Amino acid sequence: MFNGICGVLYRELLIYRNRALKQMLTSSLSPLLFLIAFGWGFGRDVTVGGISYISFLIPGLITMNSLTQSFAISGEINISRFYFHTFDEYLIAPVSHAGIVIGEAAFGVFRGILATFIIFIYAFVFDASLSFNPFFLVAIVLHTFIFSALAVTTSMVVKDHSGQALINNFAITPMIFLCGTFYPIDKLPYAFKLLVSVFPLTYSTKVIRATLTGAEVNIVYVALMMFYCIIFFLTSLWALRKVEA
Amino acid sequence: MNDNSDVLKAAGLRKNYRKDKAAVDGVSFAFSRGEFVGLLGPNGAGKTTTIKMLTGLIKPSSGVIHYYGRDFHNESQMTKGLIGVVPQQNNLDRDLTAYENLCLHAILYGIPKDARRERIYEYLEFSGLTDYANRQVKTFSGGTMRRLVILRALLHEPKILFLDEPTVGLDPHIRRIIWDFIIKINRTKNTTILLTTHYIEEAERLCKRVMIINDGRIIVDGDPETLKDGIGHFVLEVYKDDKIEEEFFNTRDEALLALKDSTYPCKVRAVTLEDVFLGLAGRRINV
Ligand SMILES: Nc1ncnc2c1ncn2[C@@H]1O[C@H](COP(=O)(O)OP(=O)(O)OP(=O)(O)O)[C@@H](O)[C@H]1O
Ligand SMILES: [Mg+2]
Repeated sequence: MFNGICGVLYRELLIYRNRALKQMLTSSLSPLLFLIAFGWGFGRDVTVGGISYISFLIPGLITMNSLTQSFAISGEINISRFYFHTFDEYLIAPVSHAGIVIGEAAFGVFRGILATFIIFIYAFVFDASLSFNPFFLVAIVLHTFIFSALAVTTSMVVKDHSGQALINNFAITPMIFLCGTFYPIDKLPYAFKLLVSVFPLTYSTKVIRATLTGAEVNIVYVALMMFYCIIFFLTSLWALRKVEA
Repeated sequence: MNDNSDVLKAAGLRKNYRKDKAAVDGVSFAFSRGEFVGLLGPNGAGKTTTIKMLTGLIKPSSGVIHYYGRDFHNESQMTKGLIGVVPQQNNLDRDLTAYENLCLHAILYGIPKDARRERIYEYLEFSGLTDYANRQVKTFSGGTMRRLVILRALLHEPKILFLDEPTVGLDPHIRRIIWDFIIKINRTKNTTILLTTHYIEEAERLCKRVMIINDGRIIVDGDPETLKDGIGHFVLEVYKDDKIEEEFFNTRDEALLALKDSTYPCKVRAVTLEDVFLGLAGRRINV
């Protein structure tokens, strides 16, 4: 298993090395626009649940940006599966499927966490008042692992690149807009509340926001995050086995 | 590991991509140590599908595969280390250098860290690619890429090497360089080789044993000389107005005798594997 993890990480990091700057720049633009539009646009005195809207929004942008970056590994796996067939190198090698999945997911976690730094810089620039609970570090690892493992799963299930685009459109984008990243979900109609309660992003947003705004971390939500980690790890293994069918 | 048992033994391999049609329809064979086998067949015959099943990229719909007597499915991690694969399409990481591509392979196959560098340079040397070590793969020519893919497949010193159309799309000069390289692997390392091709000349030059596959079934299995003996030793080509007709003879004299009688332009030549292939094609191969 270890050879698989090391091999996958070695490759992904080598390739990332050349693209890191470009990808960081790309991932830093849209949160900035959200901050300008919602943060400044709404005015500085808007408050949500007793904290300023900027302070509410920043943790949301952290979850959003890390999710986007972690999930983006699915696109790269697609390219390596369908265009350059480099993924076959993993499949014919004497390594376990778990090694491949953990390697890819670890890379997704790494990318997701890198994408949070820029938001912390924005937080400083936009003068958001954040408090920092070290449990944030655990939460962000769980959060990025969920979406990295989900990315591995979907990239194994789809039959081509457009299938991946479909999933991005119908699963990831709605999640980002509905799961409390930009506003509290208790304002949503009941049906939507029900819908978002099955989305993992709802729970990671709550936990991550709690660790950054000084609120209490609800342990049930953390347990749910772990639950999603396990589920998507298992679906990744299942999907990878199906690739060889 | 019992060295006397067959390197590879496949029995009743079948693959159905669709329910009603088998791409590979129950093939069986066994290879012994050092054997050089060609799998010959027209486009879509099932060569790549066979290789993919033998290397673990797809699961057979039915049938069993053993390497050195070990079940490939049940002991896949152990047995995969015995196999080297050169896929039909080059699957190198184009943004990485040759060295980095090889290093990735070395990690995946568990070559210890302190031995990696030396092993990689040893094999770069063996294949004459030392100068390319630190250049990005995307700057390589087709022939160089192909050699690098073959070299990569050798890095973990496999017992059996699968080559899926190793010289397709290469010019005649480079093709000969690759042939020499493959022969060198077979001779110096005693690596068992299964090579697929639809260049008959390639199979004839390289392989001690040829299997012809058509429509998912192996229809001929034997050494090229015996196969050629089966249809005669000499061919008389008769250039008629609208087609070339071929007649087969056991001796040159018989052929020449027939040539004298003919009123058309004619040519006598030795039988090639291509004649065997086309002879079967006339009767059985539906290209
Ligand atoms: N993934 C797939 N799904 C469905 N059918 C497939 C798939 N791959 C191959 N086939 C079909 O299976 C048959 C055998 O294909 P295969 O690629 O094994 O042939 P081949 O002998 O390697 O041909 P070529 O010389 O063109 O490489 C063909 O009819 C092909 O269309
Ligand atoms: Mg093929």
